[in-house]
Amino acid sequence: MQEAVAVQTPWYRASFKEWVLTTDHKKIAILYAVTSLVFFAVAGLMGMVIRLELTSPGMQYVSPDFYNYLLTGHGAVLLLWWAIAFWGAFTNFLIPLMIGARDVAFPRLNQLSYWFFFSASILVLITLIPSQNIKMMWTGYPPFSLHDGAGPTALYVFIIWLIAGSTLGTGVNFITTVLRMRAKGITLGGMNLMVHGLMASIVIQLLGVPAFVGAVTMLFLDKYIGTGFFNPAVGGDPILYQHLFWFYSHPAVYVMILPAFGVFSEVISTMSRKPIFGRKSMVIALWAIAILGFEVWAHHMFTSGMPDWLRIVMSYTTVLIAVPTGIKIFNWAATLHKGAIRFHTPMLFTLGGIFMFLIGGLTGIPLALPSFDIHVHDSHFVVGHFHYVLAMAVTFGAFSGAYFWYPKVTGRMFPEGLGKASFWLMLVGSNIFYFTQMMVGIAGMPRRYADYPAIPEWVKLNEIQTVGAFILAAGVLLTFVAWIRGLKGPRVERSPWGSPSLEWTTPSPPPPQNFDKLPVEVPPGWSPYHYGR
Amino acid sequence: MMETLLFVSGGPLAWAGGKTPVAYPAQFWDQIFNIWLVIAVVIYLLVALPMIYFMAKYRYRKGVNEVGAHEEGSLGIEILWTVVPLIIVIYLATQSFANYTQQRTAPADSLPVKVQGMMWAWSFEYPNGKKSINDLYVPVGKPVKLLLTSTDVVHAFHIPEAKTMEDAVPGRVTTMWFQFNKTGDFRAFCREYCGTLHSMMLATIKVVSQEEFDKWLQQPS
Ligand SMILES: [Cu+2]
Ligand SMILES: [Cu+2]
Repeated sequence: MQEAVAVQTPWYRASFKEWVLTTDHKKIAILYAVTSLVFFAVAGLMGMVIRLELTSPGMQYVSPDFYNYLLTGHGAVLLLWWAIAFWGAFTNFLIPLMIGARDVAFPRLNQLSYWFFFSASILVLITLIPSQNIKMMWTGYPPFSLHDGAGPTALYVFIIWLIAGSTLGTGVNFITTVLRMRAKGITLGGMNLMVHGLMASIVIQLLGVPAFVGAVTMLFLDKYIGTGFFNPAVGGDPILYQHLFWFYSHPAVYVMILPAFGVFSEVISTMSRKPIFGRKSMVIALWAIAILGFEVWAHHMFTSGMPDWLRIVMSYTTVLIAVPTGIKIFNWAATLHKGAIRFHTPMLFTLGGIFMFLIGGLTGIPLALPSFDIHVHDSHFVVGHFHYVLAMAVTFGAFSGAYFWYPKVTGRMFPEGLGKASFWLMLVGSNIFYFTQMMVGIAGMPRRYADYPAIPEWVKLNEIQTVGAFILAAGVLLTFVAWIRGLKGPRVERSPWGSPSLEWTTPSPPPPQNFDKLPVEVPPGWSPYHYGR
Repeated sequence: MMETLLFVSGGPLAWAGGKTPVAYPAQFWDQIFNIWLVIAVVIYLLVALPMIYFMAKYRYRKGVNEVGAHEEGSLGIEILWTVVPLIIVIYLATQSFANYTQQRTAPADSLPVKVQGMMWAWSFEYPNGKKSINDLYVPVGKPVKLLLTSTDVVHAFHIPEAKTMEDAVPGRVTTMWFQFNKTGDFRAFCREYCGTLHSMMLATIKVVSQEEFDKWLQQPS
């Protein structure tokens, strides 16, 4: 292969043509990261408009239809472009480095996967045109999505097809890479927990995405060809769509959170200078969550009209997930015991992420209980709960990981003061925001409401949320500033945090062939968490 | 009648403070909420307090605490924190099962009312054929069973005071029940996204005395 020639220019001096034609996993990672961050910012701004509109009852800034578009965009983009795609950057950058490989198994396929994702991104931008606003929520439930008022369902379906192409390509590629290209001496069990987290997430996507693609394809046929899969007017069943949709879209939650678990493990071990506590049970718990995640989808349908017995069965399967999840949290807590803890920015985000995930998990348990869900289903309680998981645990995990590997990717150190300030603002802001959001949900406020009656308790709680949201947004902004300013920061050594993991043994940023000497080999008994000996 | 129902599930009414809720079956939700809240707060403290303690005690100090201990795990404690949570969640799911059965089973003497959701209004039909739009008249102290369906897209009928809801799905009939113990006007909300005016799809539950209700029912629609 031609690109194996040892070009020593770092990625940030690459020409435009090199970016477009690159098959280097590190450059592709940066393409994913930048695309993802742009959309994170756009969808975050959509969220701020939603938040402003809800501050007081009545319609102040946008029309109900545009509000519904903003909700659809905010949800779909943050799930697909942020909580899933940002991990695509980590997958691409870290997996070959952590297993001591030169690149991925199929570099061309990897390139194709990114450009599928890029094409989907263009389609998302088209929905910004007023006549092309999709207004059916990211869930796209029929029969509403078959209705004219939903906007261009076809555009949604095309986006999902392209995303699925990207996901499946990435999945096949990285599973092959991890199974076939590990350096001599690295066993499957001995891989970094980050690699396990990313792999579990990829395996879930490979198993689940086809169901999702099937569902939206049937939606497409129903709307434009007149078939009757989900359309009750011609004998179809709308609840069937919900089953197919959630069969992937519940496990998708783990696609987003398992890589964050990987980050928590790497960072907490490195910053405490201790091997991760109960490493074997961490690996087992991770994969148990991935497998169990496929037996619980109908907890999203406890009030959907499906049979009551199925609600009870799914309630039992769902609560079981709390067990492996609990194991992970307890192990992280125990890793701190007798450590030598350094509170650098990545560690703050990891610790914050764990505390917030604890709240997200504990508020998820009652949603698995039909007798509790029956009052809060589709209320702001659900929204607050999953923002604790997605906007806090996942986002803090992603920020922690980005700060942690920032010196590896750029070869420079970000300004710590800005990073820490960003963390505290985000922690305070999002707790004010999402905790009151759960409270207004308990008080009965339905989600997906552009407007609401002027119930004094609701109004008060909505005002507080808006204050929290602005603090949160200020925190996010500081991180963007830190990352941009860091590009001019002081140069760093190979392992500024003192981790012995493989990616830290190579120069920062890594050379195009990844390591000084290929093939990489590790001594017997090697561990990426070699502390305290 | 309600009281007997309540004793079957082990007296949750007493647990929730013995007060009659504005509407049944809210007491079952209140009970599961209280149980969950106590468990969640205890678990949160059991995890968060040691973590904060470790963070303070084992912080990096130059020359004093620079490298962590080599601790890889402990089988005993790992088994403990697998089994105990397992027992807790199985208990919660079972308690929920018991409550849910009562939240979902309408008393035999319930008044049946047919409900139709449509973009963006609710229509109600009583056993004698009487119809009304957006106003659901019910007698106080009488259980009501709703038979829900929809003419267009999926909607959901939520009654905050009764703390219960169910989707209204086109092509199907779903059910839910409630009973108001107080007269007055109460709101019901559409809880499943249904388009432009989803947030305007409110109904008013008009809870009146039995005599008033009977009189209203006899008036032509
Ligand atoms: Cu779920
Ligand atoms: Cu509706």
